[in-house]
Amino acid sequence: MTQSEQNNNIDLNQFNQVFFEECAEHLAEMEQILVSLPDEGPDEEQLNAIFRAAHSIKGGAGIFGFKDMTVVTHVLESLLDRMRNHEIHFSTAMVDLFLEAGDVISMQLAGHRDGAFVRQEAIEQISAKLQQVIDAGSVVTPVGSASAAMTAVSEEIALSETVASEHSCQRYELVFTPDPDIFRRGIRLENLFAELEELGELTVTVGLPATTDFNTIDPEICVCSWRMTLFTTASEADIRDIFEFVADVDQLQVLTTSENALENRDSADSELIAKVTLPEIPRPEVAGEPGADTFGNAIGRRSYDKNELAPGAYGRRTSEAESSIRVGVTKVDQLINQVGELVITQLMLAQTAAVLDPVLHENLHRSLLQLERNTRDLQQSVMSIRLVPISIVFSRFPRMVRELAAKLGKQVELKTVGDSTELDKGLIEKITDPLTHLVRNCMDHALEIPETRIASGKEPCGTITLRASQVGGRIVIDVIDDGAGLNRAKILAKAAERGIPASDNMSDEEVWQLIFAPGFSTAECVTDISGRGVGMDVVLRNVQSMSGRVNIASEPGKGTRVTISLPLTLAILDGLSVAVGPEKFIIPLNSIVESLQPAPESLKTVNGRNVVHVRGEYIPIIALYELFNMDALVKEPGKGILILIDVEGEKAALLVDALLDEHQVVIKSIETNYRKVEGTAGATILGDGRVALILDVNSLFRMRKQK
Amino acid sequence: MQTGQERTDKNGTGVASEYLTFTLGSEEYGIDILKVQEIRGYDTVTHIANAPEFIKGVINLRGVIVPIVDMRIKFKVGVPTYNEFTVVIIMNVLGRVIGMVVDGVSDVVALSGDQIKPAPEMGAALDTDYITGLGTLNEQMLILVDIEKLMSSEEMQVMEQAN
Repeated sequence: MTQSEQNNNIDLNQFNQVFFEECAEHLAEMEQILVSLPDEGPDEEQLNAIFRAAHSIKGGAGIFGFKDMTVVTHVLESLLDRMRNHEIHFSTAMVDLFLEAGDVISMQLAGHRDGAFVRQEAIEQISAKLQQVIDAGSVVTPVGSASAAMTAVSEEIALSETVASEHSCQRYELVFTPDPDIFRRGIRLENLFAELEELGELTVTVGLPATTDFNTIDPEICVCSWRMTLFTTASEADIRDIFEFVADVDQLQVLTTSENALENRDSADSELIAKVTLPEIPRPEVAGEPGADTFGNAIGRRSYDKNELAPGAYGRRTSEAESSIRVGVTKVDQLINQVGELVITQLMLAQTAAVLDPVLHENLHRSLLQLERNTRDLQQSVMSIRLVPISIVFSRFPRMVRELAAKLGKQVELKTVGDSTELDKGLIEKITDPLTHLVRNCMDHALEIPETRIASGKEPCGTITLRASQVGGRIVIDVIDDGAGLNRAKILAKAAERGIPASDNMSDEEVWQLIFAPGFSTAECVTDISGRGVGMDVVLRNVQSMSGRVNIASEPGKGTRVTISLPLTLAILDGLSVAVGPEKFIIPLNSIVESLQPAPESLKTVNGRNVVHVRGEYIPIIALYELFNMDALVKEPGKGILILIDVEGEKAALLVDALLDEHQVVIKSIETNYRKVEGTAGATILGDGRVALILDVNSLFRMRKQK
Repeated sequence: MQTGQERTDKNGTGVASEYLTFTLGSEEYGIDILKVQEIRGYDTVTHIANAPEFIKGVINLRGVIVPIVDMRIKFKVGVPTYNEFTVVIIMNVLGRVIGMVVDGVSDVVALSGDQIKPAPEMGAALDTDYITGLGTLNEQMLILVDIEKLMSSEEMQVMEQAN
């Protein structure tokens, strides 16, 4: 956290949030372009787009006071600018470098947004690397020390602005991080400072690491670092001479800035002090990194900044961005809730009016019909606000595939189909991890190396297809590869080894399901990509937590298709209302197989527990009144209605008094004001304004086992 | 968390704080008025499976699912009857909305610190921990309840104890 951020009031924090979101978008855009670049290099438009993204991040970071974020972006921007001006030519290595720079910026972003750990060395490294590329391809005086990357930039400014001449008064920023044993070597730092003071005007700030505990500190070990500002006519070499016997080259960083750029710098300067003494920076040497993060922003405006109106300059957005607005999720949820209320009110009205004479109240009935139509449309439109295209998830895969392919020595092409398929935002967040896992699995296990592929008569380049589509009320996402397919024998052998129940005469379908067992992996060796066997079971669990299903189809040698099917949204559920005694319950429609009135001869008992015989299967009966300790009208399975439910192959028959109706219900949380109720997945409000509990079929199974 | 008791303590004896008083059987109780959101009649509730007897169930309060507790059953005072005079006090406790069934709401009274006496140890159904004190008003005794402490207690089973 920087000082300027601490000074911010709540309102500014709100803007910070906007910046974080925008910054993340720019990074994603940049990455997307980089990954899709053709081998011969980017065209003008692409280069401009990357440049715009980098520039916008830098600009935003500067405005919002995240000075450290401007460092990498600045160097990146300089490099891109030179590329735009054809001073430096594109090479494929640059793509990786740019991607890496993007990662570092993301890391800094996460640091500001979530307080995540920021590796300062990474910032240094990438700045230096980028600077090297600039130096290699430009006429600017090369600088030997890698940590002096920023010096080069500053000098470049000095050159371009031709303000500072060699003999004029210069401002130097010095960061001195001595050896821990400097005191033991008998070096007197006072003398050093006195010598520096002879050169010009000196300001010194001392920094202590956050971990300093004054109770245990060893006064003979130097843990401090110093930052100095020096106005002098002396050269950098003169300054370094003073430190000659005190510090190694890398213990002293010297940054030159022309005096002219000084005015802009006061804010940065005060922040520098805050940075040095700030306790939360987790690193042993406080001023270990080059002063880059605080100086970078002060480099001043470059020639291209003045060119903002030139064609292709930054500040332009794609038309897509202009046609959308950013709204908080809570606002949308509030709207959805309110519309839910409206739907309930409309239902109540309809119920009340149903008893009125249709002839006498013709107008009322007609209006109510219209109201019903309108509310339904309204509800649909409102629900669609929460829907976002799945391309948000898909877009992260090209990069991952690219990098993994390189690592694994495989050739992989990633195809995405149905990018514009829309899914609830909550689901999008939850589906990312399972999909990532599936794609990794494809890369690591399914797809063969090029030689093997050629040997088996396939194209050397493997294909992974991500396909999303809407089928009825559900979203279906396929992860398809044209790899080796699942190996039936291997899976069965592995299952036997792991003690997972399996037999040779299981159908393929059943065998594929085995890979969802916890701890299952057929990979010969565990890599850092996959193979630890903590995967498919997690995938299954995650998908199920979204009321989704996973299916696998596979053919040896041809490939595998994993299909995830999800409900369109989590806020609304299709359910069947049933009566048990005086209460009504909602059973999710997707878990219901059928309902039946059992014939007396199909009812049996096993160990005193009731089962029903349906098409050759004995299915246990769960009496809801028993499970919930209620008074029901019907207590004998033979007189009531049985609803067959099926969750992940586990079946049961629920005994209820009567079936009532099929509804689309808005799911409400009971936990907001009460605690979790076992056996329920929430509650909803029925047409008559009463609350009905929604049954959670999974937890019903659990409850039954406990009883 | 600022109960009426604390407010008066801070300001010496000068400023009084207000209590909503209600009856449970023959006893008169009072809770901090600032915790009360609204008062409404008793409606049909939806029973909650395997909940303790004093938790009557949940109701729909303008789209919000609100649990209803019957203090008469919990405190074992009076006879839990439900008729058109039965009243539910909807309270805002620790960010949650909870309804409490009582026999009737009587008044809003202001009590200053010196009108509140500490409650004696009784070992009764209502633990003394949840009583901030006994108030006296026109010869009548008021049992002042720390509703936040009571509702968040384990024995009420209204809130998840992890919180």
